[in-house]
Amino acid sequence: MKLGPVGDRSGLWVEGAVALFLIAFPTIVAFLNAGTDLATRILILGLFGLGVDLIFGFTGLLSFGQAAFYGSGGFITGYLLIHNIVSNSLAALALGTLAAAFFGLVIGALALRQTGVYFAMLTLAFGELFYFLDLSPLRNFTGSENGMPGVPKPVVPLGFTTLDFTSSMGTYIFVAILYFIGFVIARRIVRSPFGAVLRAIFENPERAAAVGHSVPRYKLVVFTIAAAYGGLAGGLLGMFQGYMPYEALSIDQSGEIIVMTVIGGPGTLIGPLIGAAVWTYLRQELQNIDAIAGIWKLILGLVFVLLITGFRRGIVGAILALTHRWKSES
Amino acid sequence: MSVHLIEAQLLNGVALGSILALVALGLTITFGLLGFVNFAHGAFFMVGAYAGWVVYTKTDSFFAGIATAIVFTFVLGAVIERVLIRFYYDRPKEDQILVTFGLGIVLVESVRAIFGGKTQLVQTPAWGASVVQVADLFYPQYRLEVVGIVAITLVTLWLILFKTRIGLIVRAGIDDALIVNILGINVHRTFLLVFALGVAVAGLSGVIDAPILAVYPDMGTGVLVQSFVVVVIGGVGSFSGAIVGGIVAGEIISLTTAFAPDYGQVMLYVAMALVLILRPQGLLGVEGRA
Repeated sequence: MKLGPVGDRSGLWVEGAVALFLIAFPTIVAFLNAGTDLATRILILGLFGLGVDLIFGFTGLLSFGQAAFYGSGGFITGYLLIHNIVSNSLAALALGTLAAAFFGLVIGALALRQTGVYFAMLTLAFGELFYFLDLSPLRNFTGSENGMPGVPKPVVPLGFTTLDFTSSMGTYIFVAILYFIGFVIARRIVRSPFGAVLRAIFENPERAAAVGHSVPRYKLVVFTIAAAYGGLAGGLLGMFQGYMPYEALSIDQSGEIIVMTVIGGPGTLIGPLIGAAVWTYLRQELQNIDAIAGIWKLILGLVFVLLITGFRRGIVGAILALTHRWKSES
Repeated sequence: MSVHLIEAQLLNGVALGSILALVALGLTITFGLLGFVNFAHGAFFMVGAYAGWVVYTKTDSFFAGIATAIVFTFVLGAVIERVLIRFYYDRPKEDQILVTFGLGIVLVESVRAIFGGKTQLVQTPAWGASVVQVADLFYPQYRLEVVGIVAITLVTLWLILFKTRIGLIVRAGIDDALIVNILGINVHRTFLLVFALGVAVAGLSGVIDAPILAVYPDMGTGVLVQSFVVVVIGGVGSFSGAIVGGIVAGEIISLTTAFAPDYGQVMLYVAMALVLILRPQGLLGVEGRA
């Protein structure tokens, strides 16, 4: 996605297109013989991926510990709702998101002391810390390997009335609204002066520092924002499934969201959603074909390696490159 | 808490730590010398364990299993370097991480497709099956032998890298590949060798850990993360750092498990965070090396 100049307020068509897509999405998956729940799942991962894209696609920070925020946000949101500490779904989500952002701040402050490879290794290790905290010391809260069952579906009391999102379509609408808000905020971020500095850090951190930007602080802020996206998506996952799985904290989860982002196209915001759609849909379809049901992940892994090698910008990047060439020829 | 338990856990810590040190060293070889981090390292560990296990169950010789694991992972590493990795030397670090991460998925899922996902117990070899007396404690012989195997391997690796012509070329190639090329030495062949060597070290670690850990497709994941922690604790790119970091990590896990089983793994990461805050370059790392 070609980013407009900073402060450019035109290009609202992207937000419009995303809104139209969100409205049409349940019909599209129905056309593919899949239920609305598939669309909801994809949106949750797309929301999670927005944060990953902000740190990786725009700032160049490759974190392998994002599941820590996805899981912690999800478990905290779920805990608040199950134990009736908070009855408003939105309030519980907000608290889960804030908690995840706080964890992001702490982990970021430590892991961002290093760059590149070491940063990736450290985030992976901190992700494991959260995973093991969940499994053993905190098992009374999180249910360890049993996960946390009974997370209520989204309900928003407004005083005069109560919005009920408990049906399958209702949950989709709830998630879609939050995805849209998340997308608009992320797009605002990358098109703001703050986002311009992020891209400067991506291109050349030394130069960004030399012109006077506090590179560590920018990195920490965007890392915290990404953690918040993870926490929100995790909270939605628990509500959507009615159950918060411990696997949400696993390395596989951290890896999968990166794989989805890269397949879809990093640095495009919409890429993670596309990647999540491809990954989730193919996984479901491949598992339905008897001959290859057991090797769906092997196939997707091979596709991923080929994509990294050949199409570094992912699906969206490849499409943009094609349309760009077509435009310059005509 | 009995004294025996603590003694046993201390020894367990050394055994676990020596394996972690070896895995971390394999990582450090590719990383320190090629500047290339191998996120598939845990998967190669697992492949080594499976290769060794298959031959061990067929021939009943664990030595044959070890030899197979080393040779198989070395050749596999060399082939993968030729068809995939070599195209990545000039690409950003993030791409290198991503492609090896993807490679790890492919390896793990290939093994799962061939052998199934079941955990397979691996019998301790006959020459390690008894118990030995350490002070007043009876301890499984095999775990002490693991420490011995690791020690021999470490010395061998050190000799190869620091006392041979090949090692000299490798280290020169890291400093300035262009000049080494101009001097008429094929640097790329050396890179191939180093990558395959790092992979073979992972494979060896996997096979000797198999009787302790059992084999299953995801067995490398935890080891990979722990070896990252070892590298962070010990110091990046440091030969001795990997060894010290390995033993420290092994003791932290074992001793914490004795006193507070729930925190065995957690404490390892707490220690890592402490090292990061107090000594970011690692215990034996050199400032600025990162």
